[in-house]
Amino acid sequence: MSRGGDVERLLRQALAPVDPPEALSARLRSTLQNISDMAAGELEGWERAAMRDPRNWVRPVIALIGGAAAGAGLLLIGRHQRRRTREVAGLIERRAREIFRSR
Amino acid sequence: MPEGNTGKAALDAKFSELYRTHLRDVYSYAYYRVGNHHDAEDLTEQTFLQAYRHFERAQRESAGRPLRPWLIRIAHNLAANLYRDRSRRPQSSLDADSPLATAHSTEDLVRGRDDLARVLEGVTQLPDDRREALIMRFALGMNNREIARALGRTDGATKVLIHRAIRQLAAIVAEDGVEVEL
Repeated sequence: MSRGGDVERLLRQALAPVDPPEALSARLRSTLQNISDMAAGELEGWERAAMRDPRNWVRPVIALIGGAAAGAGLLLIGRHQRRRTREVAGLIERRAREIFRSR
Repeated sequence: MPEGNTGKAALDAKFSELYRTHLRDVYSYAYYRVGNHHDAEDLTEQTFLQAYRHFERAQRESAGRPLRPWLIRIAHNLAANLYRDRSRRPQSSLDADSPLATAHSTEDLVRGRDDLARVLEGVTQLPDDRREALIMRFALGMNNREIARALGRTDGATKVLIHRAIRQLAAIVAEDGVEVEL
């Protein structure tokens, strides 16, 4: 019977990490780069092609109209608020004059 | 359009980082799992290709946790498919140019090499889940939590699995004449 020490120490030695062959690293890097380039090209092509189809204009047009409507709404609200502020200020001023006159 | 490509470039950069950091882990796992360099290279390549396809989702769902268990799980599933397709278990002996064959060269280590060869042979006799847990722990240095995630088990079940694997291996190598302590 040979001396072997504890199992965990032996396991750590027996199952030492293995370096991948250099050729594998190079091949894998190149494959992933190709896939990545193809995917980027496909994405660009797909987006360009999608915008050539009039059916895909609906969403951007709706978004544009929605944005314009929201902007116009904000302008109207702002104008309305400024008018209300002026009216309230005028009312207060008139009321103050009446009070001073009555004294 | 530019935003899509910018996002993709950032994602690719993250994947490159993952690849650089874990190529050795995946290859080590694959090598000890399948027992030869040819299949290990194939398995490693397939693992990273599949990981690339699902990387965006994995990143989103990992919530910042390390992705090594996810990568090893992919390799584990692919290895299982490989054996299912070929209807065979891993080869029992490793390639002649295995780390075991090259790492210890002096005559003083001959007996030690013999013990290590028996331990490695013992590992191949373990049930699949026990063998895999030992590979993850000792070849990759994964902790219980990472192994649990890779194997889809609870932390507790993984701890028990590793403990039993070590005990069974000790019994196998003791029968083979290697004196071991637990």
